[in-house]
Amino acid sequence: MAKNYATNYKPNDLLAVASAREVNDGDVVFAGTGLPMLAIMLAQKTTAPNSVCIYEAGSVDGRPVDLPASVGDARCAWQASVAAGLTEAFYGQLHSGYVDLGFLGGAEIDQYGNVNTTVVGDYSAPKKRFTGSGGNPDINSLARRTVFIMVQEKRRFKEHVDYITSPGWRLPKWPSGEFVHRKEVYGKFFQGGPSAVITNMGVFRFDDDGIMYLDTVHPGFTAEQVKDNCLFDLNISRCQGETERPTVEEIELLYNEVDKEGIFLP
Amino acid sequence: MGKPQKVTLKEAAALINDGDFLTFSGFTIWRRPMAFCYEMVRQGKKNLHLFEVNGGTHTEVLAGAGCIGIWESCWVGHELYGKLGEALAAGQIDGSIIVEDYSHGQAVARLLAGAYGLPFIPTALSMGTDILNPKYDNLKKAGLRDGSNPKIPLKKYDIVHDTLYDKGEILLIPAANPDWAVIYASQIGTEGTVRVFSQRYVDVEAIKAADKVIVIAEEVVPEEYIRQEPDRNIAPGYAVDYVVELPWAAHPTGSQFNYDVDADFMRAFYQASKSKDGYKKWADEWVYGVDSHEAYLEKLGVNHLQNLRANTVMGYSTTMKRGTR
Repeated sequence: MAKNYATNYKPNDLLAVASAREVNDGDVVFAGTGLPMLAIMLAQKTTAPNSVCIYEAGSVDGRPVDLPASVGDARCAWQASVAAGLTEAFYGQLHSGYVDLGFLGGAEIDQYGNVNTTVVGDYSAPKKRFTGSGGNPDINSLARRTVFIMVQEKRRFKEHVDYITSPGWRLPKWPSGEFVHRKEVYGKFFQGGPSAVITNMGVFRFDDDGIMYLDTVHPGFTAEQVKDNCLFDLNISRCQGETERPTVEEIELLYNEVDKEGIFLP
Repeated sequence: MGKPQKVTLKEAAALINDGDFLTFSGFTIWRRPMAFCYEMVRQGKKNLHLFEVNGGTHTEVLAGAGCIGIWESCWVGHELYGKLGEALAAGQIDGSIIVEDYSHGQAVARLLAGAYGLPFIPTALSMGTDILNPKYDNLKKAGLRDGSNPKIPLKKYDIVHDTLYDKGEILLIPAANPDWAVIYASQIGTEGTVRVFSQRYVDVEAIKAADKVIVIAEEVVPEEYIRQEPDRNIAPGYAVDYVVELPWAAHPTGSQFNYDVDADFMRAFYQASKSKDGYKKWADEWVYGVDSHEAYLEKLGVNHLQNLRANTVMGYSTTMKRGTR
């Protein structure tokens, strides 16, 4: 049956839908607040009904009927199989190897998928401080795949991020700080790493060397426009064409079931 | 050991000395001992050293009032209701607060080691990040890793080779053992057994890791009642030193099965926290301008609070309007 694509949708709707399509059925997903939550909840209602969600405040496989406003929300724990705490989330679930997919956000990213959510400028004399790491680098370090959902702006897609909060594919190995492949830093703890970045302009993936390339461009944009919105030299030669549009059913689920109160999708 | 001592909010806050090392219950904007933090602001505490697995609205109240000297943590903000921790950020930028950043999972490891009486816990979380950049060890730069303060480890972390299973390099994260854990809990028994509802966050670890524990309880219940279901409790009475019984003490943060987050109040505070003047006006109205927690609740009003009250089945407010629909 031909899909009934929506003709009228907002940038965040496509972000949520494209992100939901990254979830494989059966995945154990560790998600952050906001769009990542919408994406996993939409995936559970469409293509990945057997996927489950862990939130870092300690709810494991919750089945919220009302959208949580944050990962510590009482709503996360409704019908959960376990309501524990952070030790369970970070060590009992993540460090022990259950997590297939991490769903995260970021303020800045570089071509290797290193993400900054800590400061603007030199960390020792910052111009601005963001929230800080939260669980972003932890989830990203031991999930088998990580998807970042971000705003596309030239100043956010940088040659080098001001501070590596969350680990990409090429990283400093301490104490020397020499840049090496992620596998050299994580050794036998290596599980995977950033697999996709989804913005309001396109979907990006990483090649075998851990370098970001444009995979699909969202309807209404060109690959060149996306390249112009990066400070590094984005590889657009592998672009497969347009990102699949949201269907009418997906938009209805987002607005009438996932975020029926209009919290993240006003 | 033995039963905790019942004290008033003012007496409890007076136990804290300038420079003391504290940690709190809760998670970002949930189950924070807000009334206690307001009282510390009124009492003019200075140079507090906070270890927080994560920060939140309470951190910002303390930072804006100039109470914090050192903040070791990973995150500060008000979630959906205020995206940054403006007061803490201002303190980091102007140098009045020493900030030591860990990742969330590493911060959990610090408290977990502290709770279990271990000097460190190994973890593979967040390797290869600037959190581990030796240039960014702010406590070392301040000369505070010289062993003179027994609560500050000699190193921010260590990297060792696993000699037992040969898994390669792994981090060792030092324990945190604060002088005080200030815990907001939904219930405490008359002999001090502590209960929280739903997610436990790191409250269990915070209680065990700290030298002394103050519990601010929504209600005190008969010990016989709380012992009927011991699997729902998080700590025995002998782990608690002081108890304050104080309804709505977590407002404007939420408490599962008691009340929801006060989104409007939190948004207004976040706007105010963006400037020193804004913070001062806000604090003059809501902290210094109310002499007690009772006066604060009176000012909020019954209808305002009633709207936040949790549905006793769902655990959160099902009547408050949260979004645009």
